[in-house]
Amino acid sequence: MGSRIDEELRMLEEMALDFAERELKDRREECDHYPYAPLEENVLEKACDVGFFCMTVPEELEGGAMGVEALSLVLKDISRTDASLAGVIFTTALAQELVLAAGAGSVLAGAPGNGSWRESLIAFPSFDDAAENLGLSAERAGGAGYTLTGKVEYVVLGGLASRALLPAAVPGVDGYSFFLLDLDAEGVRKSEPVLSLGLHSCPAVDLELDGARAALVGEEGLGASYFTDCADRLSIPAAAISTGIMKGCLDEALEYSRQRFQGGREIVNWSELRRILADMATVQATADALVACACVRAEADEPGWRLLARATALQVQAAACDVTTDGIQVLGGNGYMEDYGQEKRFRDAKQVQALLGLVPMRKLEYITRVIEGEPT
Amino acid sequence: MVPRGANLAVLEREPTPKDIMCGLDASGGMPRAIRKETLEVLALARRFNELVVRPGALELDRRKHEEPDYLPWDFVHEANSWGLYTMFIPKLFGGQGYNLPALSYMVEELGSACTGMANLVGVHYLGVATLCSSWNMRLMNKVMRDTVEGEKTGEPCLISLAITEPGAGTDVEEVELVSKATVTCQAKKVPGGYVVNGRKIFISNGHLSTWHMLIAYEDLASPETSTVMLAVRNGMEGFSFGRQERKMGQKGCPASELIFEDCFVPDENVCFSASEAGSMKGSAERVTMQVIDSVVSTSRAGVAGFGTGVARGAYEEALRFASETEVGGKLLINHEWAQCILAEMYKNVAVSRLTYVETNNANGMYGMFKIMQWKPVYYYLKFVPRAVIDRVVQPLLDLPAMTWLFRKVMFEWQKDSDWQCTSGWGSLAKFTATDAGVRNCQLALELMGRAGLRHDRGAEKHLRDSKLLQIYEGTNQLNRLNVFKCFIGRQVPEAQVFED
Ligand SMILES: Cc1cc2nc3c(=O)[nH]c(=O)nc-3n(C[C@H](O)[C@H](O)[C@H](O)COP(=O)(O)OP(=O)(O)OC[C@H]3O[C@@H](n4cnc5c(N)ncnc54)[C@H](O)[C@@H]3O)c2cc1C
Repeated sequence: MGSRIDEELRMLEEMALDFAERELKDRREECDHYPYAPLEENVLEKACDVGFFCMTVPEELEGGAMGVEALSLVLKDISRTDASLAGVIFTTALAQELVLAAGAGSVLAGAPGNGSWRESLIAFPSFDDAAENLGLSAERAGGAGYTLTGKVEYVVLGGLASRALLPAAVPGVDGYSFFLLDLDAEGVRKSEPVLSLGLHSCPAVDLELDGARAALVGEEGLGASYFTDCADRLSIPAAAISTGIMKGCLDEALEYSRQRFQGGREIVNWSELRRILADMATVQATADALVACACVRAEADEPGWRLLARATALQVQAAACDVTTDGIQVLGGNGYMEDYGQEKRFRDAKQVQALLGLVPMRKLEYITRVIEGEPT
Repeated sequence: MVPRGANLAVLEREPTPKDIMCGLDASGGMPRAIRKETLEVLALARRFNELVVRPGALELDRRKHEEPDYLPWDFVHEANSWGLYTMFIPKLFGGQGYNLPALSYMVEELGSACTGMANLVGVHYLGVATLCSSWNMRLMNKVMRDTVEGEKTGEPCLISLAITEPGAGTDVEEVELVSKATVTCQAKKVPGGYVVNGRKIFISNGHLSTWHMLIAYEDLASPETSTVMLAVRNGMEGFSFGRQERKMGQKGCPASELIFEDCFVPDENVCFSASEAGSMKGSAERVTMQVIDSVVSTSRAGVAGFGTGVARGAYEEALRFASETEVGGKLLINHEWAQCILAEMYKNVAVSRLTYVETNNANGMYGMFKIMQWKPVYYYLKFVPRAVIDRVVQPLLDLPAMTWLFRKVMFEWQKDSDWQCTSGWGSLAKFTATDAGVRNCQLALELMGRAGLRHDRGAEKHLRDSKLLQIYEGTNQLNRLNVFKCFIGRQVPEAQVFED
């Protein structure tokens, strides 16, 4: 059993690396410019075809029925080359997991299988704890429908996907609820893609809704419990994106420092530079191990995996910011230039750190759960 | 009772009073008018920020995202009309004569709003400092008066510094490494001047500057003994601009390639050469080192100003956000942890500022600012009518004896402990303030979450801008090594730097 899974993961890894090499590597710089050229449609189409946009969706809903480990592996391998596509996959997976947690999986049925990447993607404000981005209010509008009104900032993939999953408050109901919105529906106004720090090919838009019809996902007022559940699980793939960025960064730093001469020798032979490379390498290796460990514990549903997942994300995302800062430094002036990959990794790592909400609030939430006795 | 002499003897030990009391030492000798002048500079910078920098910073950055080859001439013309390019040029050379330490305050101020625009102003003074470090009074007068003229005519005349080459960055910033550098920009001596061939890269403000202080080498195999500093003007045959780099941040300030193809530079444009150095007391290598060191001792205080500025900009964005955003049901600013993060950011700004202030004190006591801040010279230049300077003093600047005299004072009379103090402080300030700048930007983004990622909130731009500061003017590692060389290694006879 174990070896079959290992073999599957190995094949998945090969596929992800190969995909990144063939489809992303040469376009990376071009897709990173503003005004945004989102990933070319044919890349998204191919990513959809190989199943990247429905990896964790159950088999009966025509998904890949894979776990968090497989998702993390793919995100890591893709992020070694370009984390933008990982951002696309992550955001969609997060929205899908929320839908599944809410017991509303049927709305996912058909979408992944029918081959259209636009239908498969689900936009979501993935850089928020949903509770902190509640600019929308929902009103019941006859039958099972609702209408949404208000503004919601930074909806990732809002300009690409056909649907969005959005948090909104229902008047008179405690907490918040999730709604699935057709982004082409009447009453939906999208901004231009928001010029942002990183992940340029995974752009976000601000939405302004005026009585746009939407469907409730799960039950009213239970949004926070769905979100916490999914944020625990998805913290691991979020961390995996950071490990991929770190690996790409370390590889480029090592390669450059073996070729660049200063002071009459390859710079890799200056011990201060080696010390920096050693810092980068040890942090990257331990981050990798941490994510792998979190995956195993999550897949086995071991007690404490949830808090470990949260801690892993906080730790690994911060580490990626440090590693990529050094990654530029090793290349000197060239590291600051768009002709090399390091400056993009620096921006992407900082962007990825903001996934799932404010870092200090995530830390406080973590320790609150520890204090309340949740197993670690 | 310990004899008084014995007490004094312990003051010879490390850290020496000279290195730890620059501020105290400087305070007595410093002209009092400097404070008032600095306040004027600060007020002007704040008004310039309000009217020019803040309204245009994000727009310029966005425009450069879209049109990487755009050159911000509008901004440069505006800064020129505000007098920013002559403010710190000594009155002796036709400028407004504000004290040079005030430049750090100015670039901090501008940098807090936009480091790219701060560079569009500040880097011009890197060119000025390079020219001044040659103490070639005739050329200083000629080139800086061009800038003054440019202000009058509305045609900005900026000065850039060109050292870096494709194969040599760190090596040509550090005198101990120059001998091992793979340099390719050659200045060959020919009758009447030099013929230059080669390329310089990453030159800030290159495309926007009229004069370029070019560092080249007569003998590529032995750059440490054959350095020449040439003043190259736009339009000289054989000199052209290459590409503008595509940078992560500080997009408003171009980093340019300069190309020299059989470019003839006449003798009258030689600021400094190794052969001139050879005619002075001390080896050509030592004098060349003093020239480079005096440039970086002053310019690194400026970079520390940028670092302090960007640290402050990030802090101010975070403060604004915390004051208007509710998190977990109450304003962020009323969370105790957020108050401590803001205090940490405030500390980073304050400590960074102290380092550049101390560096400027060191430069005023033992380095490039010494002559200008000597009270008789300072007050003479401040109060003597401009017409007297122009008519009586200016012609004297053309006399070789003037250059000889200034070089004698600045190079031959400079003690080892003088340059160690100024150069050490320059490096310490540079890496302290620029590391703090990056750190504050990272903290701001963590505090602001999604809002911090958006271009329209300004914080992400500060982060992109800040990273450059750890690289140019010598990478922060090189600056750490220089602190070791200047302050630490000298205590240990066995210590060797760059002999790893
Ligand atoms: C946007 C920008 C603007 C600039 N503006 C100017 C300008 O106006 N004028 C100008 O002349 N230059 C300018 N520079 C050049 C800048 O000063 C150099 O980039 C800097 O000195 C580093 O050199 P490098 O890029 O060649 O890096 P390298 O020297 O190749 O360094 C690569 C890495 O090796 C390390 N390293 C090298 N040697 C050693 C050693 N002996 N020990 C330990 N580590 C070592 C470095 O610290 C760095 O981490 C600018 C650069 C940039 C990016």
